[in-house]
Amino acid sequence: MTPAGLDSEITAMEPTIDVRSVSKWFGNVVAVNDVSLQVCPGITGLLGPNGAGKTTLLHMIAGLAKTSDGEVRVLDEPVRDNPKLYRRIGFMSEHESVYGFLSGREFVELSARLYGLTPLSLPVERAIGLVGLTDVQERPLATYSRGMRQRMRLAAALVHDPEVLLLDEPLNGTDPRQRIEFQDLMRRLAGEGRTILISSHILEEVEALAGSILLMVSGKLAASGDFHAIRAKLDERPYKVRIVASDPRSMAAALVRLDAVDSISVDTDGALVVISSNVYALQRSVPRLAQEQHIRLLGMEPLDESLESVFSYLVER
Amino acid sequence: MEPLLRLSLRQLASRSRLLLILLLAALPVALTALISNVEGKFSNSEFINHILDGLLIAGILPIVTMVLATSAFGNEMEDRTLSYLVLKPVRRWLIVLPKLLASIIVGGLVLIASGVIATRLGASSIVGATVLVLDGSLQAALAVGVALFAGVVTYTAIFTWAGLVSTRAIAFALIYVFLWEGLISTFFGGVRYLSVRGYTLAILHGMDDETFAPLKDRVIEFPAALVGAAVITTVFFWLTVRHLRRMDVP
Repeated sequence: MTPAGLDSEITAMEPTIDVRSVSKWFGNVVAVNDVSLQVCPGITGLLGPNGAGKTTLLHMIAGLAKTSDGEVRVLDEPVRDNPKLYRRIGFMSEHESVYGFLSGREFVELSARLYGLTPLSLPVERAIGLVGLTDVQERPLATYSRGMRQRMRLAAALVHDPEVLLLDEPLNGTDPRQRIEFQDLMRRLAGEGRTILISSHILEEVEALAGSILLMVSGKLAASGDFHAIRAKLDERPYKVRIVASDPRSMAAALVRLDAVDSISVDTDGALVVISSNVYALQRSVPRLAQEQHIRLLGMEPLDESLESVFSYLVER
Repeated sequence: MEPLLRLSLRQLASRSRLLLILLLAALPVALTALISNVEGKFSNSEFINHILDGLLIAGILPIVTMVLATSAFGNEMEDRTLSYLVLKPVRRWLIVLPKLLASIIVGGLVLIASGVIATRLGASSIVGATVLVLDGSLQAALAVGVALFAGVVTYTAIFTWAGLVSTRAIAFALIYVFLWEGLISTFFGGVRYLSVRGYTLAILHGMDDETFAPLKDRVIEFPAALVGAAVITTVFFWLTVRHLRRMDVP
């Protein structure tokens, strides 16, 4: 799979991450089930609801966890039990724990030393500068906010200028401004030819970054490819919308005439539950219809906007 | 290895942990001083059996090394910081060795100081101590220091492994120390060949058999103790490296 938006020259590149029929089980629980995928340079989003197997898959790609079956290769080398390969890989886990007694700079320096970098100061200052924490680098990590810790952990993962960057839920705890800065940084790094795989359970987070996604549900790769193509599939799916009106009967009679409405039912509270394949048209039409019929519109809310329902829909297809 | 050693030392040197091991290590010294002052003199065998063996070697030595060594990897596993170390181009034995060394440095310094000071204090208050103080207490103190060092190294290797393979390393360590070494080895002499306490006592006796003559009937051969301690240390070091290579890091 190749991230969308890259030109044909990049598309023809060899994949830097190659996952071949990988499974992982813990006792009777299958966390990842026969997943095969390839990731090329650029930004790729690994998307899925909590418990979908994203972290387990990312851990196997990083070599932190062994596969129960199948093989993972990164930069054309087996990743497991191959420490020298980590000179070329940066990893940031979803766990936010750090050595709180170290200062931010000491933490990044520790990484740099373990990567065998000499001299230290230049790459350390560059990495801390990239995440915008130069001013607070001497403070102990224990005093950092959650977002600052995330950024300093990113600096530690970037200090050796890796070709492959694996990030598990990197935007946890960051504020909107930090998210924009993070996205800019990722785009810049990807533009330099790096392979960046970002795991997230938030659709919009990945949408803003990755042209290409890998969609995991229940341990399986449910979909992969261009983000917009997959997003289009999402938009086609029928949505459930709950409408509360002062006169439900008249409102239902008016709604049933709309093309955007597939079916209508009434729930136990007397609210209307509308199933629509064109939720945008429905959103536009409902206030107008209510006004025309002199009905007071008391509420309108989607019932299945969760990412899980979106994924379930895709898997069913 | 140096950055990991420094990191490990800083991890181990938390205030509460240091306070605990310093208090434990002060016990033999305080007790020896107390007995010397209150009771005047006590016999050589009383000092060796109760203070050195009963308190320091059988109790405080394993407890202090357990506190340090099980947390060498145990804390990293618990707070999930181990990935910072294993995802680096560093061979696994070079991650394990500094962890081991840090526990040995901290535990060794404290325990050897405790043993040596207690021995010097005890020697001066042992009945008929004139000969011992003038001619033998230095050698006895050296023997205590070396034996405790061997005990610290061997226990550290075992408990570092336990801290990596189990979240219940302390329970394992307590069972090993008090059931295997404390109880079973009392009834079955052969167990002393597989006992860190047995090695420590044998090295103590082997280095100064005159002062530590009261141990004669219950120690294994000096060379067997040296080899046993070296083999156990090597085997558990290797097991730790092997487990670190094969395990799933959280």
